[in-house]
Amino acid sequence: MGLLALLAVLNLRMGSVRRPDQAIIWELRAPRILVAAILGGGLSLSGFLLQTFFSNPIAGPFVLGISSGAKLAVSLTMIFLLSQGLASSSAALIGAAFLGAMLSMGFILFISRKVRRMSMLVVCGVMIGYICSAVTDFVVTFAEDSNIVNLHNWSMGSFSGIYWDSVGVLALVTGTALTFTFLLSKPIGAYQLGEVYARSVGVNIRVFRVELILLSSLLSACVTAFAGPVSFVGIAVPHLVKRLFGTAKPILMIPACFLGGGVFCLLCDLIARTAFAPREMSISSVTALLGAPVVIAMMAVQRGRDRA
Amino acid sequence: MLETKDLSVGYGRKPLLEEVNLHLQPGKIVTLIGPNGSGKSTLLKTIIGQLSPVRGAVLLDGRPMGDLPPPEVARRLSVLMTDRVHPELMTCWDVVSAGRDPYTGRLGILSPEDREKVWETLRLVHGEELAPLDFSQISDGQRQRILLARALCQEPEVLVLDEPTSFLDIRYKLELLSILKDMVARRQLAVLMSLHELELAEQISDYVACVHNGKIERFGPPEEIFTADNIKKLFDIRADSEELFVFHGGKRLRCGYTTGTCAALSAQGAARLLLTGMAPASASLTTPKGSSVEAPLEDCHMKGSAAFCSVRKDGGDDVDATHGLLITAQVEKQEDSGVSIEGGAGVGRVSKPGLDQPVGAAAINRVPRRMIEDTVLSVGEELGYEGGFRVTIHVPGGEEAAKKTFNPQMGVVDGISILGTSGIVEPMSVQALIDTVALEIRQKAAQGHQNIILTPGNYGMDFLRAQGMDRWGVPVVKCSNFIGDALDACGAEHMREVLLVGHLGKLVKLAGGIMNTHSRIADCRTELFCTHAALCGADRAVCRALMDCATSDACIAVLDGADLREKVLDSLLSAIQDHLDRWAAGAFIVGAVVFSNQYGLLGQTWRAKELMDAWSTL
Repeated sequence: MGLLALLAVLNLRMGSVRRPDQAIIWELRAPRILVAAILGGGLSLSGFLLQTFFSNPIAGPFVLGISSGAKLAVSLTMIFLLSQGLASSSAALIGAAFLGAMLSMGFILFISRKVRRMSMLVVCGVMIGYICSAVTDFVVTFAEDSNIVNLHNWSMGSFSGIYWDSVGVLALVTGTALTFTFLLSKPIGAYQLGEVYARSVGVNIRVFRVELILLSSLLSACVTAFAGPVSFVGIAVPHLVKRLFGTAKPILMIPACFLGGGVFCLLCDLIARTAFAPREMSISSVTALLGAPVVIAMMAVQRGRDRA
Repeated sequence: MLETKDLSVGYGRKPLLEEVNLHLQPGKIVTLIGPNGSGKSTLLKTIIGQLSPVRGAVLLDGRPMGDLPPPEVARRLSVLMTDRVHPELMTCWDVVSAGRDPYTGRLGILSPEDREKVWETLRLVHGEELAPLDFSQISDGQRQRILLARALCQEPEVLVLDEPTSFLDIRYKLELLSILKDMVARRQLAVLMSLHELELAEQISDYVACVHNGKIERFGPPEEIFTADNIKKLFDIRADSEELFVFHGGKRLRCGYTTGTCAALSAQGAARLLLTGMAPASASLTTPKGSSVEAPLEDCHMKGSAAFCSVRKDGGDDVDATHGLLITAQVEKQEDSGVSIEGGAGVGRVSKPGLDQPVGAAAINRVPRRMIEDTVLSVGEELGYEGGFRVTIHVPGGEEAAKKTFNPQMGVVDGISILGTSGIVEPMSVQALIDTVALEIRQKAAQGHQNIILTPGNYGMDFLRAQGMDRWGVPVVKCSNFIGDALDACGAEHMREVLLVGHLGKLVKLAGGIMNTHSRIADCRTELFCTHAALCGADRAVCRALMDCATSDACIAVLDGADLREKVLDSLLSAIQDHLDRWAAGAFIVGAVVFSNQYGLLGQTWRAKELMDAWSTL
């Protein structure tokens, strides 16, 4: 897995701009690569946690509307700060994204108590996503022209325009979340057998659920704050990684999902950057193109099994 | 140990059950029985901490369980609940090893000892070969075994199980419970469980609690609980529904209808619809056994010239593979008089000779065929129709359900069989119970024992303990009322010495050669007392008094009054010894000890005395 990530990094270094001078690589590409890898990892880990939490293989930060909630909060913050003539710091953006993610998550949790059917939960999540996107668009429409370009780029999802100072913050936040998640791998494993059995082996369910929610929201919020909502990584990668290893043991899955997400996002970013160079595609388009078929295949298999 | 103190349980504020005071003991099984919705599951969920008590407390060694740190509770209490778990990509090994969680470190990495324990528990449930398989791909029975292994792997002192045998075939039910019973004895577990099957509850429990009317209505050893009267009260059985229940061990269980009865009922409905154009709401008929059944009809409709009606198969308290299936009859007119019966989709076809029907015919047996024929013809007669009927039975989903039955091995393919000689499903076969007793005796033999103590029930167990006879190292097997069958099993397993220890009220029947002591089979207790008393010189008044006694203890009192106790008991015991010897036919040595709860040890046969003298010096 580590090798794979390295390979992808190297791959990306052979970027597309004609004269790959040192400064471009160091100042633009290197941070971008790191961020893509870290964010991809964070996103896929967040997906893995949500799937465990809802015991639903198609749960993920994007599908459940958590990314969109974060996006809305970030747009509002950006516009507010810009209109005040302040530059938006990464910490402020992460904070806002986290808040937005938590709000969406709260709503989803509320709904998950009312509806028992998991497919309905996903439908609700998608609806929340649409509502948040609509409000974001609405806000963007009334934003000042100068902000719009910036905001629009961001809300399409992109790893471009990230510099070294953000990488530090990002690495710190994601690294902490990853470590905490890894330390939770035992209760996560117990939770895979359902709440009752998890409790029976001594998991404090209430505390554990709060931890899971906080971690998954933090991870997806972090991604959203920097790269906008990136779709399908959270569902597709954990699924692919689980199939690859033929197990769902968290002690293996947590690092594997993180690395796998990194590789996946690097690959997607590579495609986004180079496929139609010098024009760049939004990262979300590429992840959707690669990730959505995986999700569809997964749902087909799932249905097949339900019927059997 | 676990106990509950004035516990009230329920969802929200309103208690469903109140003032529950249970006290578990090591090595004892306490079983909750009661109708659906009485609160058994709610109680268990509260005890394991899934629900908060409405009032009162659950105590573990005197301390409220909620105050103990969860990992400590986890090392002492484990559970097997009804929640369906379908984890993604977990092998059975993974599931069982989850039981080690309370003992592993922060990251849950298994030590070599942990791994050894996982294998050990897998062996206990005969699940070693399941270890590498995907948990979501194995059968229900295997899954329950694996979940039991998971719970045992936790090495608890207390085990809580919620209807562990639901949805299992009878074979798996017995297997699961015999594993459990073995574990309880071996590890001195305290077990609290709810059971649906009364027959099994009687067999396996040390104590039974009846959950009814918002409280634990009765609590006691199975002998005291399982009286017809109690069970009737417990399950609110009304007199008019009597035919839907069957007596077993003096208690009634809800019976269902066989697939044959369902087919006949739906054919009746369809015939009525065909001839009148009106769909009846229900159909009723008299089963071959002579009881009448009535069932609601579903999905009655006409399609072209054919009428369709369905009855949902209800297995009663015996839930099998066909439970819940719709049995649909399609009825058309035909020119020839008489009734032709065919099998449609989901009804099996006979593929091997030797079955009730010829090869190639639909697997609808003779008795249900006759039931169908009788019922549609009587509908025709009633409505003045003189032609014949063509009846086709369909079972949507039958093909799938048949895979869970023995049909493929028996030579019935592509669907379920329409069976039923009696028309009624009896909840548990007596044979299955005899099989468990025989199985236990076989286990003891396999462990190398050549002598054994048999006792009908828990009274006997208590007596053995009180007399210190359980410390002889001779294994004890509860044989229920099946004395003769248990002796046969001892013979088959080449036991050399067998001691029967039982309550006078049961064993006195042996003096009359009655080797199944169930009161349904024969009573004869007072008659035997009376005869032997007369032979010992009792006068008519004493004989009359003996005949009027309700219990064997009362007989003893009468004999004491006539100063005949010793003589009569000697006479009875020697008759018992004669019958036992005749039954054993020289294959093994057998003796009997009789006691009563009131009088304690009453006496033993001469063989028993020899055996006891020999064993006590072992």
